[in-house]
Amino acid sequence: MTDATQSDTVFRPKPSLPPPANTVGAVGWLRKNLFGGPIDTIMTLLGLYIIYQIVAFAIDYGIVNAIWSADTYRECLDRNRGEGACWAGIAVWFNSMMYGRYPDEEQWRVNLGGIVLLLWLIPFWLPKITGKIQIGMSAVLTFPFLGAAMFIGGEFGLFLQVMASIALTLFVAVWLHVASTYLSGRSLPDLLVSITGFANKDDRLHKYVLLGAFGVGFVLSMIYLGSWELVEVPTTIWGGLFLTLVISGIGIASALPNGILLALGRRSKMPVIRVFCTAFIELFRSVPLITILFMAVTMMPLFLPVEFNPPKLAMVIVAVCIFAAAYMAETVRGGLQAVNKGQYEAAQAMGLNFWKMMALIVMPQALKLMIPNIVGSFMGLMKDTTLVSIIGLYDILLMGKAAGQNPSWLGFHTEPLLFTAMFFFVLCFAMSKYSQHLERTIGGGYGRR
Amino acid sequence: MAVVDKAGPRKDARSFSEIVNDERYRSVFYQVIVAIAVIWTANYLITNTAENLEARGMSAGFGFLGSTAGFSIAWSIIDYAPGDTYLDVYLVGIANTLIVSFFAIIATTFLGFIVGVMRLSKNFLVSKLASAFVEVMRNVPLLLHIIFWFTLSAALPSPRDKENQIALFDSVFLNNRGLYVPAPVPGEGFQFVVIMALVGIVAAYAVAVWATKRQFATGQKFPAFWTGVGLIVGLPLATFVALGAPLTFDYPSLQGFNFRGGADVPRAFCALLFALVLYHTVFMAEAVRAGILSVSHGQTEASYSLGLKPSWTLRLVVIPQAMRAVVPPMISNWMNVVKNSSLAIAIGYPDLVAVFMQTSLNQSGHAIEIVAMVMLFYMTVSLTISAALNYYNKIVQIKER
Amino acid sequence: MKKVSLLALGAGFVASLALSPQPVAAQESTLEIVENRGVLRCQVGTPAPGFYSLSDDGNWSGFDVENCRAISAAIFGDPDNIEFQSVTSAVRFTAMANGESDVLSRTTTWTLFRDTQLGLDFTTVNFYDGQGFMVSNDLGVSSALELAGATVCVLTGTTTELNLTDYSRTNDLGIEPVVFEDSNVRDSTFFSGGCDAVTNDKSGLASIRAKAPDQSIFTILPETISKEPLGPVVRQNDSQWNDIVMWSVFAMVNAEELGINSGNIDEMRANSTNPEVKRMLGVEGDLNKGLGLGPDWAYNIIKMVGNYGENYEEYMGAKTVMNIPRPGSVNDLWTRGGLMYSPPFR
Repeated sequence: MTDATQSDTVFRPKPSLPPPANTVGAVGWLRKNLFGGPIDTIMTLLGLYIIYQIVAFAIDYGIVNAIWSADTYRECLDRNRGEGACWAGIAVWFNSMMYGRYPDEEQWRVNLGGIVLLLWLIPFWLPKITGKIQIGMSAVLTFPFLGAAMFIGGEFGLFLQVMASIALTLFVAVWLHVASTYLSGRSLPDLLVSITGFANKDDRLHKYVLLGAFGVGFVLSMIYLGSWELVEVPTTIWGGLFLTLVISGIGIASALPNGILLALGRRSKMPVIRVFCTAFIELFRSVPLITILFMAVTMMPLFLPVEFNPPKLAMVIVAVCIFAAAYMAETVRGGLQAVNKGQYEAAQAMGLNFWKMMALIVMPQALKLMIPNIVGSFMGLMKDTTLVSIIGLYDILLMGKAAGQNPSWLGFHTEPLLFTAMFFFVLCFAMSKYSQHLERTIGGGYGRR
Repeated sequence: MAVVDKAGPRKDARSFSEIVNDERYRSVFYQVIVAIAVIWTANYLITNTAENLEARGMSAGFGFLGSTAGFSIAWSIIDYAPGDTYLDVYLVGIANTLIVSFFAIIATTFLGFIVGVMRLSKNFLVSKLASAFVEVMRNVPLLLHIIFWFTLSAALPSPRDKENQIALFDSVFLNNRGLYVPAPVPGEGFQFVVIMALVGIVAAYAVAVWATKRQFATGQKFPAFWTGVGLIVGLPLATFVALGAPLTFDYPSLQGFNFRGGADVPRAFCALLFALVLYHTVFMAEAVRAGILSVSHGQTEASYSLGLKPSWTLRLVVIPQAMRAVVPPMISNWMNVVKNSSLAIAIGYPDLVAVFMQTSLNQSGHAIEIVAMVMLFYMTVSLTISAALNYYNKIVQIKER
Repeated sequence: MKKVSLLALGAGFVASLALSPQPVAAQESTLEIVENRGVLRCQVGTPAPGFYSLSDDGNWSGFDVENCRAISAAIFGDPDNIEFQSVTSAVRFTAMANGESDVLSRTTTWTLFRDTQLGLDFTTVNFYDGQGFMVSNDLGVSSALELAGATVCVLTGTTTELNLTDYSRTNDLGIEPVVFEDSNVRDSTFFSGGCDAVTNDKSGLASIRAKAPDQSIFTILPETISKEPLGPVVRQNDSQWNDIVMWSVFAMVNAEELGINSGNIDEMRANSTNPEVKRMLGVEGDLNKGLGLGPDWAYNIIKMVGNYGENYEEYMGAKTVMNIPRPGSVNDLWTRGGLMYSPPFR
């Protein structure tokens, strides 16, 4: 290197000329991306025109001519002749569209339930936390019972009290686990074992410590839940977004385990099971959700004895669960097929039985591959849940319609629709972006192999 | 020794746990359990249903299909009058479902390709606009789409509003009642034109087969495509002219309150079609985009290095490979179009669910029969489509070495 | 986890079926069921102004809702001991037949078919309605018979749809129905000219007009093309329950005839010399015995819910969006030329 700099005869290129002015900077970007040729230019101008029209209309209708405060729809109409939105109505009906007819003074229960669920799931996003799968499973399998106890209230039966107590114990355990992980650096089971002095005892004794701790928590929860005195809020007056989330939430939570079972059944070597599972999946996948819902409300009462009279919400939830399970089964089957056959063979070679092979080797890989699809199913289910309005459940859509039938708000029709559409858009868009993010991070994980 | 211990009892009587853990027995055991559970449940449900029906004084059976329905249906492509039977209502519903699904599928496929390619466009604005379209459409429930477009389409001019009329050549009209187009009225001898068209199609196919064979054998090319077009269009056209144009059109025109004559589709049809197309185009577009991206760029480069023109590269190398990834999601998207057309009920388009599962069920009360018949229809459609899909998959599967 | 979910679900399902009470309960009368439950299950429809609508705080109110409140007041002495069930018209009869609802109080037309073949009984009529048409003024039509070839907006799954077909066939009008599932959509379609006319029970036409940006441009045509007697419905074969529902409506009608309203009822009970008033309000006699209710059942209804006229003015009268004037109409008392006529309380 030093030789070259000392030599006089070395070739010294002139600094290169700057690129032509119209290929760099803003002008270059515009030429490259917007005005690359005559067709490009036409497309760009057309696009700009479309954007202008949409934005101008949106501003006109949604902001300039909109009415933000009024007592009746008539008042809105008199002021803007229907040329702008009447957002005042949304403000009046917002609470109804969120909670349906759930009593105002009890709505804190719904909010609290939502917060508990969120808190339960937060450890998922915390690094360092171990046992995320167990946390997720505890939330999915037991939260519905705690939620039911909180949302319905009243005198709940022994079964619900036991299940809700288990849920509460597990919820507290999850957060104790988080606390112990961050404060002492050890997971909750390790901490419990060492505190009780079993650390140097036989490993098999450890589980008794954990069972004991769980038992203590369970008894405390039972006592605590027994002291609850909540007003009963029957499911018939649930409604709004809350109802939408309850139905789709239970639907998706049950879809995963049921879908896995159905998918395994469809791939089973046992002909009877395979036939039943295949028939079930194909039947419910091939008909529209609305027919399943109709079936639930018109046929289910005929199928069951007169005395066994489940509330409509229960029938609808069963219908949605069946529908979601059939769809999830196919998603899971896709995931199972994507797992390399060598993995199955290796697991069998290790002497694992069927369930161990599935639980320890195949499912974790398949589920990882399926996460984007599962998020997609959840979004799909949430959107499909709007159909329950057709059979008369007061979800966010039907609550919006009911608003337009109130004597003071007659004709208040478009705004609830727009509001609902915007709401769904924001929710689903955020979820799909998150799912894409997950897809990338998980894909990266696979790339390292 | 352990071996001896294990072998010992096997000769006499197999222990319970051994039978349970034997795969063959266990498999039979599980299957019997499942079969019994299913049969028991079915029996339970059927018994209950029979009891419930008896308690309500209702009868089960398909006899009601022969009785008069008595209500009118707003629009149907096959003839229907209020005096017709429930069976006719079923058929009308099926026809209406199929016709809207048919047009929606064609439009969805076509638009889906355009939007999918637009998203890959080098033009920044075009690709962003396409992405925004995709995101907005797919993140809003279809039911909202349908209700929204139906409400919005009410703002089209009314048929008596001469000033703002939306018309094409004074023969196609779009207003807030629906879309009106001229109806062809075949004259005498028109059937020969149809026959010649069929002959043309067969001939074109034969020519194409022959041309391919010859090209494989000799390497000589034959303009099979243009010959085919000539046959399919030319033959019937020549017949048509020779017979003295035996076809007239019945034009819609304003009579009384509404347009009369011609063929029309109601506004609910247009709105439903529009919403279905917008919603499903997005999924089609995503399939197309993923399909095109799935073809490795190396394929294009390899094709160029073999000296193929860019248009040939696209036609002979990229698209055939992309199709393998595009077709399965495309067909399941078609299936969803058929299923989702059932949301027509929200805006009163008389599809199968609306006329049969809603109105007929409400009038006749035969819930089980009607639900079963509706499900049977959707199952037939989707099983047919998925059989076709499986067949296609089998054909295009990469032949593993 | 996998085993737990479906198997436990299945097992739980089977167990719950096995443990569910056997059909002994079928003998229990509706009144006993309601009293044991402590709450009346009253079915209304998806909101329709005037008859049953939902307020932003989640309460039901309306003309048909008052029937439910009257029954609740008669049984419990509390007009709000009600669980309202709002179902679509397509499943209204199913919900009755399977015991989900105790009484159906929603704009349901009394027809022979419905009364005899659905396992239901119609009790009495609390509102006489009839189907009519509303058109925009610029159509230049003054009679329904001039609607030849018109498109008419109509709700699906109702007798309205059938009546329209009959009327069109009878008069050879060739009317094209445009059917809707959702009345809001029907109305906005009509306002923007999506159909030439809209047909509905006449009670509803005024409330449809009330939704329009400009109300003055619509006219209700004079023809009434059908009879629509609307009233509460109960399950067949429980005549005690049928009586309770029917006489709750009669109590409100009779009270108006006798000049009793929620304001003066205490004074009437204390001072009235009219024996019928005394019998009805439980001061004399034991008219309540046969109904299985307390002696002040009728007093509770009128005190807490009001008489027929009060309810009419509150939900249907000229001051409301419904704007259906009562004097001299079919819904006026028989003494003033209407059809509202209660059998004597004797």
